[in-house]
Amino acid sequence: MPERILVVDDEPNMLRLLKTILSDQTGYDVVTTNNPLEVSKLLQEDRFDLVISDLKMPLVDGIDLIGIIKKIDPGIPIIIITAYGTIETAEEAVQKGAYDFITKPFRKEAILLTIRRALEWKRMQGELAALKKQ
Amino acid sequence: MFRFLRRFLKVEEDEQARLQDRFQHFRHLLEANNQALEIMADMEEKLSGDFLFDTGYLYNQSRNLGEQVSRMAAELNGLTGNQYPELPRICQKLLEEMQQELAKVPGIPETPYVLPLAALHRDLAPAVGSKMANLGEIRRHLGFTVPEGFATTAAAYKHFMEASDLSQVLKDRLAQAPLKDLESLEAASREVQALVRQAPLPPDLEDALQKAAGMLPGSWVAVRSSAVGEDTDFSFAGQFATLLNVDVARLPEHYKEIVASKFTARAIFYWKYQGFSIEELPMAVGCLAMIPSRASGVMFSTDPHDPEAGNIMITAVWGLGKYVVDGRVSPDIFVVSRDNGHPVKERRVAAKSKALACRPEGETVEIDVPPDRVQTPALTDAQVQALAEAALALEKHFKGPQDVEWAVDEAGRIVILQSRPLRVSAPLAAPRERYEPSAPPLLTYGIRAVGGAAAGRVHLFSHDQEVANIPPGAVVVARQPSARLVLVMDRISAIITEVGSPTDHMTILAREFRIPTLVEVGGATKVLHPGQLVTVDADEARVYPGLVAELLRRQPKTDEELHRAPVFQKLKRILKLAAPLNLLDPESPDFMAGNCRTFHDITRFCHEKAMDAMFFPDIDRALKSDAVTRLKTDLPLNLFILDLGGGLRVSGKPQVEEEDVICRPFRALLRGFHHPQVRWAGMVAPDLKGFISVWANTMYDLGKAERGLGGKSFAIITHNYLNFNSRLGYHFGLVDAYISEERNDNYISFQFKGGAANITRRERRAKMLLEILDDLGFKAQAKGDLVQGRLVKYSLMETEETMELVGLLIAFVRQLDLALASDAVAERCIRAFKKEDYGLACLRPEG
Repeated sequence: MPERILVVDDEPNMLRLLKTILSDQTGYDVVTTNNPLEVSKLLQEDRFDLVISDLKMPLVDGIDLIGIIKKIDPGIPIIIITAYGTIETAEEAVQKGAYDFITKPFRKEAILLTIRRALEWKRMQGELAALKKQ
Repeated sequence: MFRFLRRFLKVEEDEQARLQDRFQHFRHLLEANNQALEIMADMEEKLSGDFLFDTGYLYNQSRNLGEQVSRMAAELNGLTGNQYPELPRICQKLLEEMQQELAKVPGIPETPYVLPLAALHRDLAPAVGSKMANLGEIRRHLGFTVPEGFATTAAAYKHFMEASDLSQVLKDRLAQAPLKDLESLEAASREVQALVRQAPLPPDLEDALQKAAGMLPGSWVAVRSSAVGEDTDFSFAGQFATLLNVDVARLPEHYKEIVASKFTARAIFYWKYQGFSIEELPMAVGCLAMIPSRASGVMFSTDPHDPEAGNIMITAVWGLGKYVVDGRVSPDIFVVSRDNGHPVKERRVAAKSKALACRPEGETVEIDVPPDRVQTPALTDAQVQALAEAALALEKHFKGPQDVEWAVDEAGRIVILQSRPLRVSAPLAAPRERYEPSAPPLLTYGIRAVGGAAAGRVHLFSHDQEVANIPPGAVVVARQPSARLVLVMDRISAIITEVGSPTDHMTILAREFRIPTLVEVGGATKVLHPGQLVTVDADEARVYPGLVAELLRRQPKTDEELHRAPVFQKLKRILKLAAPLNLLDPESPDFMAGNCRTFHDITRFCHEKAMDAMFFPDIDRALKSDAVTRLKTDLPLNLFILDLGGGLRVSGKPQVEEEDVICRPFRALLRGFHHPQVRWAGMVAPDLKGFISVWANTMYDLGKAERGLGGKSFAIITHNYLNFNSRLGYHFGLVDAYISEERNDNYISFQFKGGAANITRRERRAKMLLEILDDLGFKAQAKGDLVQGRLVKYSLMETEETMELVGLLIAFVRQLDLALASDAVAERCIRAFKKEDYGLACLRPEG
């Protein structure tokens, strides 16, 4: 079953580009939304292996979203997309539990690599949890 | 008396201050120039398709670029006493155009409210959405059966929104809507949808709808959204409504239902923060005669998960196709070869116990499939064949894999309902392995300025050549970057230069044309020979002999889909206002402020004119400054210095030592003057007959010159800058230079003129200087006995070395004019200089 990625960004352009490269160059299943208010509903209705979210959005920003996502599924890695010049907030996001952040504009390879690493991390967390149970 | 003195002193103080002020303008201009070039290079790099960026990036970079270029114009005017008053106006105009481009959304084309399917084709997508435009195209050009019908246009939508005042009402509602969570957002969405349903259709639109409906054969229709931009600009927007088997008599109501479906929670969220605009995602609607299909489904002209397998994928169910799309019923799957004859490779027949059917009284109903048909394939072999052929025909016509909705009507005919591009995933290419060549590379260094690989025959290009003579397909190899190459960039294969940087003028242009370009390839003009066939791998900074097909094949194909994205298109249009360079040749009479048409033109113009402005300071005024100090030196030069800051280790002294000089270019120049082989005095060529008398003559002239021109040399310096004026005898030497870590700032301007010999000999010397300067990398020209040259954008070390050679050259040629009795002597001098023999033994007759 392909891994499922939820992408959240209030800017339709970034959503479109991310969806394009992810569908073109990976086998992941990609769901996008421009509406951060919708995220908890989407996560509850469906399985996701990774969330990629913009940092600055109206109403719910990326930092808030980390808390919301972690409450629903503490094991889901989150990659935060941040604009150049907001590194401090991005670091705060990592402290709050984001897996990593990436500064836009970014190279295609950079986001693909970050995604691969995040999914790998998730798989390892899963295996670790299974071993502990034994 | 005191007042008079104060005024007098002030003038002197002001002279240093004035020059410092000029230098500050110049320094700021150089800074802004670098920033502007870097921003342009950065934006062009984003067009390569290797990066993801958003409109925030476009706004930021455009603003930064505008700021830097405006700053250059202001600094140039500060430096020149406002000699170019038109520049700020041109900047402002370009800025405004750029702002317009940034804010622009595609307008709604003016069309009738209703267009019959027979009138539609691909180019009408902005009017009727790509779904209906493609269907029209299929009907018109491919001859497949499609349902009869028509489209209501984006213009109809606009008319509806404006005439019913919905546009304003929605703006107000969205502004007031208290959004705090998903529930409030969905409530707002429901409220807005209700408003759309309740709004009356303008009578003329209602009339047009009714008339078009009356032309349809039956009374049942399918009404579907065909929003403009739903596949591209607003991919988040999701699925809009489709109404199946509805009564054509109530079309106005159905129409409004589809329009209302545009206002999803996501769309509400978007417009709440972006402001609602009619132009964004205008809702065109397709109204098609209902096909009460016996079977229907979806097919992919290529397997999206395994494009290499050469398969066509067809899924089919009984009844209406909605159940395939929804996943309500497991469909039959046919894997069909794309090869001729389309053999079925795999046939998975599912148990299809349910189907969706048209109700005779309207709308749809789920029915039980008769038991004898549950396990029967929904398609005959002949139908599978026909569908496979249609899939390939559609793929060919639309130039890419297609996702096709189709139906088989009750007569058994295949009807195409929709065709749209299919996203095919190709696994990410493995990290590139270095090519292991059979023949060793000719060159293995350099900086990638524009990536890619290309092959062609070497064409050695020097700046005085006509670019028009460069043959098509050439690999252009040059000492220095030349922006004039833009004239042939549409037909050359690659560029290699010995100096240059990823942000110089030429590279910015080469990137626009996607020409693989390597810079900083020292020795390229010597290693590569004219006519030699080479393959340039700009990514790895290597040049191979011959044609390396493997490297050329590895060219990544441009990502069409990415380039179609609106944000890419916007960047492209903005770069059109910024990057092209029209002012190619500073010597041309067209090199004028008024001819600047892009930001790139302005940067080029300002940089060039700033260097010109720095070249001729008012020496006589500068010399009067109190801060002028004398250089104690064993050189036979009467040398004075005015430090504008950072050029001397000490200040306030009437005399300084050479060790006190910390000005980079000046130190380099002095090193040249001190070269052990340079003879500053004495007999230059004792055994040359008659030379002594000439030399004596010079001494006499020198004495005369002391009275008039002063015989002084004067250096205006900062840490990185030098303006050196030498008036020795009848020679005027002028060097203006800037040397720093920032390659783009570095330059040496050089001028030499005059002499005591007759004009023939002076001209001979000018020609000799021209050849040597040319060899050093200067762009130089000679007129009479005047030689001028400029060298720009070499690295710190290279510029410093060249500066040293310039010092040496000045000393070397200082009085050579007198000795250049023939072209042969001049030729020997050139050869001697190139061979680093500066002792003037070349003046002795050969043999």
